[in-house]
Amino acid sequence: MMPDFHQEGQPEVKEWVPEQEAPVILIENLSKTYGKIHALSGITLALSGGVTGILGMNGAGKSTLFKILMGKLKPSSGQVRLFGTNPWKNPAPYSRVGFVPEGEKMHDWMTAHDFISTFARLDGLTRDEAKLEADRVLDFVGLADVAHKQIGRFSKGMRQRTKIAHSLVNDPDLIILDEPLQGCDPLARTTIMNVIRELGRMGRTVIVSSHILSEIERITEQIVILHHGRLLALGNLHAIRERLDNIPHRIEIGTQAPKDLAKSVIDIQSVHGILFQSDSVLSVQTHNLGDFHNKLPQAIIDGGHTVTSIDNPDDDLESILGYLTSGSRL
Amino acid sequence: MADKTNTIFRALDRKAAAITEFTMRQYRTKISTWVVLVTGMIVICLLMLFYVDAMQRDFESIDNDGDSADSDGDLYPDGQERLYGTDPFSDQSHPGLFDPPVPPDDPSKWIDEDDFDWDQSPSGTQTVSVGYDDDGDCRSRDTDSQKDTNDNGIACDIELSRDLDGNLRYSSDAFVDEDPDDDAYAKEALHRASILGIGKLGFVFIISIFIPLFMATGLIRDEMTSGTMHYMLTKPIARTEVFLYRVLGYIGIVWPYLILLTLISAIVTGFAGPGDSLFRFSEFGIWLAILFAAMLATLVYGMLFCFLGTMWKYGIVLAIPFAAWELGMALLSMGVPESPILRFSIVGWAMVIVDSASMIIWPDMDLLISSGYSVEVGDSFGFEREELIGTDALNYFFATPGLGEIGPFLSMIIATVVLLIQAIVLLFIGGALFKGKEIE
Repeated sequence: MMPDFHQEGQPEVKEWVPEQEAPVILIENLSKTYGKIHALSGITLALSGGVTGILGMNGAGKSTLFKILMGKLKPSSGQVRLFGTNPWKNPAPYSRVGFVPEGEKMHDWMTAHDFISTFARLDGLTRDEAKLEADRVLDFVGLADVAHKQIGRFSKGMRQRTKIAHSLVNDPDLIILDEPLQGCDPLARTTIMNVIRELGRMGRTVIVSSHILSEIERITEQIVILHHGRLLALGNLHAIRERLDNIPHRIEIGTQAPKDLAKSVIDIQSVHGILFQSDSVLSVQTHNLGDFHNKLPQAIIDGGHTVTSIDNPDDDLESILGYLTSGSRL
Repeated sequence: MADKTNTIFRALDRKAAAITEFTMRQYRTKISTWVVLVTGMIVICLLMLFYVDAMQRDFESIDNDGDSADSDGDLYPDGQERLYGTDPFSDQSHPGLFDPPVPPDDPSKWIDEDDFDWDQSPSGTQTVSVGYDDDGDCRSRDTDSQKDTNDNGIACDIELSRDLDGNLRYSSDAFVDEDPDDDAYAKEALHRASILGIGKLGFVFIISIFIPLFMATGLIRDEMTSGTMHYMLTKPIARTEVFLYRVLGYIGIVWPYLILLTLISAIVTGFAGPGDSLFRFSEFGIWLAILFAAMLATLVYGMLFCFLGTMWKYGIVLAIPFAAWELGMALLSMGVPESPILRFSIVGWAMVIVDSASMIIWPDMDLLISSGYSVEVGDSFGFEREELIGTDALNYFFATPGLGEIGPFLSMIIATVVLLIQAIVLLFIGGALFKGKEIE
């Protein structure tokens, strides 16, 4: 058999045929332990189609879950199936899967085009096909104009987009993105979010992880919340939000005289409790965040208070996770 | 018949080409690659400098049999007097008293005047008679028993035979081939010793083990540590394939490099080597064997170190004791080539290839070594045994293939097959290990 030096002809007919009925991703009772540490425990999940956000704090098990899905880690117990195939045993499903790993390490010495076309050949494409494919995916993520620049000179956002382009080679049905927005500037964030939404509209199954709720909100409504390796919540983001509305919100107001401010604020009807957190911070608890925000400015003006900051720590994921796990917090 | 463009081989081959190319290009971007390759080049060039220096030196001609001396002060060297049958210890007896008188020779004519005429090698239980008394100091002796001191019935010869271990034994009549050309001998012996020494220790051991140590250990490991392995492994490709193609990329750099180094060495020893011709073509064969052995050794070591790197983050720590073991085996292969422990090494098999080739290319090797040991140094008053310059070096670096009585060709084939099997076994062990490896 002479080597195919000219790299001509068609890619091979794929031997692997995905199961027709199987969901794109099927996870059954999946656990992963490192010694005594449970990175994931008892996850059961099936996903097909649409964009799904995986939310979780750092260390919640998002990356571990993805690496198990991609066959990089072996499950300690339970099952994982991609298109009905076990990814740890058989790399064949990867012809239909794109993966954007976490972290920044890339082959900095290559150009984006070079990087993508070189690895595209591992999908069985010829040299020429791989080049065309690299052009296509780089154009899709909006990097066509810098395609022939070295990755080492790219900004974080461009690097993330290059990784996304890499994952889109061969037009996969499933795309898994591990923290694709991390470290990106606002413009890059918007571009990447648009790319992800576009993929969802094209009917691909997209899974994207983040530890920032507001980012996920802008991409999709379908979310999965992971916490300490457990599946905490699953479903529509708004439904989860509504549950949160029945739980008191907390607002932290920075001021020189918390006690004076408290006297003014206590008159607002929606205020449910007050706590002197420190000499310069007043913590207010409310059932109705909107009403409180409407009335607070007037209360400050009327009382002649000086306010240095207004924080809403509940907006971060940690607080939501706190409510979901314990039901209350202050 | 399957469509030629659609077979699984074509697809495999595209992946192979992609990863191999990628690996070779990646090497280019690493400083360590250049440091290692340039260091190897410097080592070989230095060795070549030592070699050229040895070839340029004039080795002092020694009057091994002492017959250039004029013991009785009659201006006739002792050798000339012995040739004419006059008494070298009496100034009243010399060829100048003949009619017509013979003029005295320049004493230098009696230095290096009786070179080796060992032109035949015995095999098995055979004995052969070699040697010729160029200066006539044996042939001019008085009695037959004086001419045949080794008692084999042939006057003024050297009898060669082999002992049970196949080592060459010699038994010489007095004053036969006793004053060889020291300079010519030293150059020939050092030339061959240098080729074998540089080839075996320099190429087949040092270059072949250090280059893979620094270049192959990280082939899989570095990608796993940095996290860039994901870009390769999220494609539909088996990990054993990745392992193999990474090693192929390493081979793609190392083999051309070895060819270049060998070519430089072969050209230097070809031009600088002793002899009347401008270039010694006859030794291209031994360089070819050295190159071949080094190529196989770098392949097997490459697989091994890549596997050790895959196995453990600090694979190089495991590789170092192994390298020490191989050093011991490399040295052992030169002293005791038949030692069975050598079969548990890589370098031991690679040396078999070089040793087999040296037997084929230099069939007179044991004659050359034995003749270097056969000469005694002294004068009319006594002799003592002293080997010629270069003999010890040649004797150290030359070894028989050590696989027993199967001949050099078969030894070479067996060693090649064993090394290839080692490479294949290591590929499968490494591939299987990589397959079961979790990648963070």
